[in-house]
Amino acid sequence: MDSFFYLVMFAGAVAGASTGLLGVYIVGMRMPFIGICISHSAMAGTIYSILLGVNPVLGPVIFSAVSSMSLGLVRPGRSRLDANVALAIFFNLMLGLTFLGIGLIHGSRSEVLGLLWGSLLFVRKSSVVIITVFGLVFVLFAVLFNKELKVLMFSRNIASATGVHESFVYCLFLALCGLILAVNLPLVGGLMIFSLITCPAAAAYQICTGHRSVIFAATVFGMASAVIGFLVSYYFDLPTGACIVIVSAIIFAVSASYRVLMKKTS
Amino acid sequence: MRVECLSLSDVQVRWSGRTILVVEDMQIRRGEFVGIIGTNGAGKTTLLKVCCGLIRPSRGTVNLDGCDLGELSAWSKANLRKHIGYIPQAAEYNAELPFTLRELVAMGRTSVKPLLCRLNKEDYEIVDSWIERMGLSQQRSQTFRSLSGGEQQKALIARAMAQDPEILMLDEPCLNLDFNWKYQITEIVEQLHRETKVTVVMVSHETSLLPSVCRRVVLLHEGNILADGDIEKVFESGVLERAYRCRIDMLKLAGRRYTVNKSRA
Repeated sequence: MDSFFYLVMFAGAVAGASTGLLGVYIVGMRMPFIGICISHSAMAGTIYSILLGVNPVLGPVIFSAVSSMSLGLVRPGRSRLDANVALAIFFNLMLGLTFLGIGLIHGSRSEVLGLLWGSLLFVRKSSVVIITVFGLVFVLFAVLFNKELKVLMFSRNIASATGVHESFVYCLFLALCGLILAVNLPLVGGLMIFSLITCPAAAAYQICTGHRSVIFAATVFGMASAVIGFLVSYYFDLPTGACIVIVSAIIFAVSASYRVLMKKTS
Repeated sequence: MRVECLSLSDVQVRWSGRTILVVEDMQIRRGEFVGIIGTNGAGKTTLLKVCCGLIRPSRGTVNLDGCDLGELSAWSKANLRKHIGYIPQAAEYNAELPFTLRELVAMGRTSVKPLLCRLNKEDYEIVDSWIERMGLSQQRSQTFRSLSGGEQQKALIARAMAQDPEILMLDEPCLNLDFNWKYQITEIVEQLHRETKVTVVMVSHETSLLPSVCRRVVLLHEGNILADGDIEKVFESGVLERAYRCRIDMLKLAGRRYTVNKSRA
């Protein structure tokens, strides 16, 4: 085993942990589509920066920042359009833009297609540093705004009516969400990042009691999905992204069955 | 200190081209207990949401503690609403999250504390005292989702009270509860109003759920205030029959008023 092997493992663990933690809030606010929308706009952003020949980090950051700001305008229960429907339309638009961009690119498309499934195996040290820094920034945010985030997850209406600085915290959350997804995208891929956001958090919500244990479990589950998935793919020579997605789904299935079993025995 | 804590003037709420609420003038004084009643779709919840600033009226002004909610920035609006205790209907909160009862009640302390400040021991003492007052000490570390409907409602009341509210807004707190729980919840609200002098605005479908301490009632019908005033006078004036389009007999039992549909009797 060489140092590169451990670098990939570490990168996977950090990406899994930060998306798992992010997922606690996204799933808790009942808006998993937000994750998929932002990650796909980041993907579209990467493709257009390749197409225009600008810095490949600039595009996704701008795209996801713009999309998270416009998603901030979507408020469940405030308009006749269901929030999830609005997000689905937005997602389709981003997907359309992505494939339009892919169609316009001449020559090799392997780099672009790597964005769909990620390329953990081509990770560089610099990107590991970036995702670690952003992951820590998000942890800091979650600690500082812990009490506000809890009310936001429980009910945005209660938060707003009772004087919690709801829109401020929510916008900050969306902006950070966009950044985290944008920096993790090249490693994890647009399709897989969605499963790392939803599965670990959903699994944690099944079996945990109390917010702190949810946060802890989702982070560990996210990390475990990435690391186990990577190891499985390494030893059995299977596609990495697919293995990680399947492991995260298995973790969810196990915790969901555990909850059902516990209910039956109690 | 002002006598009115909430006043609405010339308020109109429009929703997709239709006017769903018109309030020419309504004032709620400090320490009052106001019941909002009316037919389905009369605009009861809308009125409550306008009062707490969740719905911005298309016209008119909503004054909370003398400040016009429409003219404030989001930041100062939030600061002004720190002392509103709001208990919405179940569809507005996510009861499936595994928050423990104590965590949920502690959410009431969130707006009282400034941003970036953690809850301290004193906050948790307040939280625990409200849990105890609601008789939920045993369930303190259980999840909110594992509680029964009535217990959940009690937990939400404890959450609102932990906030030290000046005005408590309840949107049908007894919906989907059995008659014993309905009785218990209204008793609790009545007791809280008596002991803490908190202003209460309570939306209710059933007149029998308004406790005897509720002296004023606002009757809504198709988005308009049909009557607003002393509960006895409103009920005796026959205006209820006009709103509900049926003949009504009012029975008074143990301080509560029960409506009976007489049309077919």
